Amino acid sequence: MKKTSFWVILICVIAALSALALLWQHHQAKADAVIANVYQDGELIRSIDLNGLTEPETFTVTGPAGENEITAEPGRICVSHASCPDQVCVNMGWRSDGGFPIVCLPNKLVIEIESAADENPIDGVVG
Amino acid sequence: MKKITTKQLTTMAMLTAIALAIHVAEAQIPAPVPIPGVKLGLANIVTVYAVFTIGPGPALMILVARILLGSLFAGQAVSLLYSLAGGLLCFVVMLLLKKILTRKQIWVASVIGAIFHNIGQILVAIVVTGTPTIVSYLPVLLLSGIAAGLFTGFAAQTFIHRMDKKE
Amino acid sequence: MHFHRSNQIRVLMLVLALVFLCACGKTAAPSGSVTEADAEQRTDKTIFAMDTVMDLSPFGENSAAAAEAAAERIQQLEQLFSVTIETSDIAKVNASGGSPVEVSEDTANLLQTALEYCEKTDGALDLSIYPVLKTWGFTTGEYQVPGEDVIRSLLEHVDYQKIQLSGSSVQIPEGMEIDLGSVAKGYTGDQVMEVFRENGLTSGMISLGGNVQVLGSKPDGSDWRIAIQDPEGGEGFVGVVEVSDKAVITSGGYERFFEEDSVTYWHIIDPATGAPARSGVISATIVGESGTMCDALSTAFFIMGPDRAAEFWRTYGGFDYLLVMEDGSLIYSEGLQDCFTPMEPWSSNSITVVSK
Repeated sequence: MKKTSFWVILICVIAALSALALLWQHHQAKADAVIANVYQDGELIRSIDLNGLTEPETFTVTGPAGENEITAEPGRICVSHASCPDQVCVNMGWRSDGGFPIVCLPNKLVIEIESAADENPIDGVVG
Repeated sequence: MKKITTKQLTTMAMLTAIALAIHVAEAQIPAPVPIPGVKLGLANIVTVYAVFTIGPGPALMILVARILLGSLFAGQAVSLLYSLAGGLLCFVVMLLLKKILTRKQIWVASVIGAIFHNIGQILVAIVVTGTPTIVSYLPVLLLSGIAAGLFTGFAAQTFIHRMDKKE
Repeated sequence: MHFHRSNQIRVLMLVLALVFLCACGKTAAPSGSVTEADAEQRTDKTIFAMDTVMDLSPFGENSAAAAEAAAERIQQLEQLFSVTIETSDIAKVNASGGSPVEVSEDTANLLQTALEYCEKTDGALDLSIYPVLKTWGFTTGEYQVPGEDVIRSLLEHVDYQKIQLSGSSVQIPEGMEIDLGSVAKGYTGDQVMEVFRENGLTSGMISLGGNVQVLGSKPDGSDWRIAIQDPEGGEGFVGVVEVSDKAVITSGGYERFFEEDSVTYWHIIDPATGAPARSGVISATIVGESGTMCDALSTAFFIMGPDRAAEFWRTYGGFDYLLVMEDGSLIYSEGLQDCFTPMEPWSSNSITVVSK
């Protein structure tokens, strides 16, 4: 059974590292994130300043597998309708932080929130 | 290649049918967590069983047939790519592990296989969408992969041991 | 064969269950940690002194009192250093008509340090350049290009070596006027850091009219990120330096200038010519521990140009520098390699790293 304990430990370590990474990701996800970048096929097609919005905005992106309707509101964004059957991107709901991007794999669509932590805010300006 | 006996062919056909049925049935259940790639992967039970009992060639055929037919029945053309990448990577890893694992450690192959399944999927997703930040899904997928791998692994191991007793 | 459950597998299940619970719990309540940083006490105070806007941002429990004390200290120093306040040490020295004047400890300290840098920079920094600056109109806003003979006669009175400092007594020849404008804000920054420390603070940032100085690291332990302004007036930045316990001070021709007959004249005067310095440098940034040094050297390096600057740095060291050149290229000392990140478009221009 010696070998089994090796595998048990290995799996525990991978799980623990993943959990740590997950915690770290959520630690990074700060509330003052503001910019939502919409990528299709790796190309930035829209960049929306979520805090700059005063009223909801809806637009549609068409990809190889159909359409995604994206709704942006002050401070948050979601895929409101999708023509694909699995609806994973719709079920992911509203995003307001940089934790995970919203992805629609069939349509090669990625909506990423640029978190303030990623952006590395500048503390001071010299000049 | 060795000639396939009728018994083997029947076994393969049956296992493919079972795997496909599980695959399609699972696709009908809404995803438990709204994160792409997170799923139980029950059809993997059949893959594990096939790898450990009937050899690499037939197991590969069952896997590929199930994925091809599965995405035809339940998914879209694009999702085929993810399933295939994940499935094949998982298969190769399980095949390698089979050489060093005892019959009581079959579940290990399933867990490690699941981990590589998710890694393969993410790699393809990065290439297809051209967005490297998708890598941020890796921790979640690894955790869910380990959980799902444990479940399907023990299910397959129990199943294999029961079949052993019967024969 | 019987299905065997080993103890290890039970342990595995238990550990994984804990891991999942922990991960799920955290996912359900994201951004819980943000409040910790917000709870950290911070005071922001803006004051107008020394002809500029000063932002004080001390962090910590005692930050409000520290900001108050720092503001007082700044006002006090302004009363000593200003050329335009008649009762200041410097105004008294300038009005002395050649006789010695007793000055405060602060003025004497600053003068002594500043004169050292005048010496070390071989007169690129010269405290007695003030009359030339005034004639060009940079102190009043009534800009003009003086004639060559005017400059020549003004330069006769420009020589830091004739400034006599013994103890707290200062003596300058008749006709000379001195000004601490090129070092006063740097010294003030050092003094504000001192006030912060006396109040028990370990973290804080100040910007004295564009001179940034930081105490310690940010409350979260990371370095302060200081952006260097685009000298060509764009919205962007040349780059970002990450520092702790440092002063970051830039001199640039863009700070005060005027145009005449499509020639730009800026406020940094080369004491050797009496005219705006044309060394190819459009912005000089010094990163170092002493604000006084950074302030003095940023002006001097702007005047000295890349070759003399590199030579100076190799001789004395103890700081790092970054020069932005007219052609858009960047020159910086090797110490900045780890903490300076140039931004577009500068990052794709020519970059020279100066090593010892």
